[in-house]
Amino acid sequence: MPPAPAPPAAVPPASARPATAAIELRGLTKDFPVGLRGVKLRAVDNLTLDVPAGQVFGLLGPNGSGKSTTIKVILGLLEPTLGTCRVFGVPSGQVASRRNVGYLPESPYFYRYLSGEELVRFYARVCGVPRARLAARVGEVIEWVGLTGAAGRRVGTYSKGMLQRIGLAQALVHDPRLIILDEPTAGVDPVGSAEISAMILRLKAEGKTVLITSHLLAQIEDVCDRIAILDRGRLILAGTVAELVGRRDRQALLVETLPEAELAELRAWLAARGRTLEAVEQPRTRLDQLFLREIARSEGQREGRS
Amino acid sequence: MSAPDQRVPFSYARLALIAGNTFLEAVRQKLFNLMLLLAVGLVASVQAFRAFNFGSSELKFIFDYGLGALVFFGSALTVTATAQLFFSEIESRTALTLLAKPVWRTEFIFGKLLGVWAVVGVFCALVTGLLIGLIAYREHALMAANPEMFTGAGRPVPYGDIVIVGVLQWLKFGVLAAATLLIASFSNTNLYTVIVGFFVLVICHLQYIAVEAYAHLTSLPLRVLVATLSHVFPNFQVFNLAEQIGPDSGVDGLVALRVAAYALTYIFVLGGLAVYSFRQREI
Repeated sequence: MPPAPAPPAAVPPASARPATAAIELRGLTKDFPVGLRGVKLRAVDNLTLDVPAGQVFGLLGPNGSGKSTTIKVILGLLEPTLGTCRVFGVPSGQVASRRNVGYLPESPYFYRYLSGEELVRFYARVCGVPRARLAARVGEVIEWVGLTGAAGRRVGTYSKGMLQRIGLAQALVHDPRLIILDEPTAGVDPVGSAEISAMILRLKAEGKTVLITSHLLAQIEDVCDRIAILDRGRLILAGTVAELVGRRDRQALLVETLPEAELAELRAWLAARGRTLEAVEQPRTRLDQLFLREIARSEGQREGRS
Repeated sequence: MSAPDQRVPFSYARLALIAGNTFLEAVRQKLFNLMLLLAVGLVASVQAFRAFNFGSSELKFIFDYGLGALVFFGSALTVTATAQLFFSEIESRTALTLLAKPVWRTEFIFGKLLGVWAVVGVFCALVTGLLIGLIAYREHALMAANPEMFTGAGRPVPYGDIVIVGVLQWLKFGVLAAATLLIASFSNTNLYTVIVGFFVLVICHLQYIAVEAYAHLTSLPLRVLVATLSHVFPNFQVFNLAEQIGPDSGVDGLVALRVAAYALTYIFVLGGLAVYSFRQREI
């Protein structure tokens, strides 16, 4: 069965596309046989999508929407049933397509019996980091993820947040152009989550392409340039975060709290011009921001005392 | 759009890295230490059982007893370590991080195989070394106590042959590891792999009986079937050259070389089949 035409929103117009997309999916379909009779379960259904180079791209969707399957196809771990997948122009089935890719899986458990440094060194050597640069590069990425103090400890003793960081270090050690993060903040506390967000933004500033899946939509909104939403394996929405979330026909004005009389005057002023004051709300600090601020304040006080 | 040529060639260095990591992980686990401890304990305990030598000479009894410990615990270690080291990577998804790098699945499978084989090699070397030490110790004591019984030329124990027997057992475990890895490559669970691995071990030890029993079949299809099965399952009895060791005879070097070639052929073929199967596997 030939794939149906792709939704137009998934692929930017040719004039707007960079010379080489980091990831190109064309009519990607993936079926899994289920049970003894081999009934097919369609995990990804005719997905056409471009991930532009140098951007942070969020792949969103509920559980079972096909995000992880899509990632596995991109990584060459699964063969597409139909359609194609290219990474920097190289078909994802080829080993060469993974030369420029770093991957952090969801809830990773690495070799427990290695120390953090041994682990990163192992992945660096697997990726062919030259011996002359090995020690420096391993030290660099471990420092980059903030694990220098724990690099000599066995990975089996690491906390969830530390595992995510060492996972990020192994993903970055060969300086890949594309980094794929599958639920990087799953099970991580808000502080760790904020640190991972900051790392993603640093990667973007360094010109890397980042593909991220997460259920923390606030985090996605904060760090992503573009997003795509999948449901039951189908692409239902794609575009830039600004396009999809912003409302161009509305504005919010932030002023000091007005007395009721002045508010009434404002309503009358707007009414005289044919406008309506639709909502008056007390702005709220986001809970994650409040949490981070208070934790930082508490730690600051503790350090001040000691 | 044509992609630049960035082929990633097969790399023995990557294979060795994966093998080294598998080895390191295995020796840091309790399973290896436990098996080694049990085998060493059993071999060392032979001192206590010298009185029960069932009529054979004491040194021969120590050798047979130690070889039995090597075969038993070596087989158990090979099957369980191969299955565990493979499935620990699959179940904990560390295989994903490794295969998401520019790594061939051939490098992964043969790396695992070589890593396990190296672990079993260390096990065989330690147990064989201990066995040789024990035999040498008792030989020295017996020679001192009964010099009139050792009037012939040189020492009575052919230590070189014991080393060859240890190496042949190691080669046999390599075949067993490759067979277990082949099962693991399509199996879904560690337990299934271990159970089937032990079945294969028993079949390989007994296959010569079946082949002999059916050697005189008149039906051509049955003969073809038996011949095919006798090639599918390696005959582990060929590795048992310890029987050749006697007062006036030792292990035939040429036979030992042929057995080594037999083992390496099976390791290569079974490993290749495991690679083929693993390449079809969706992880």
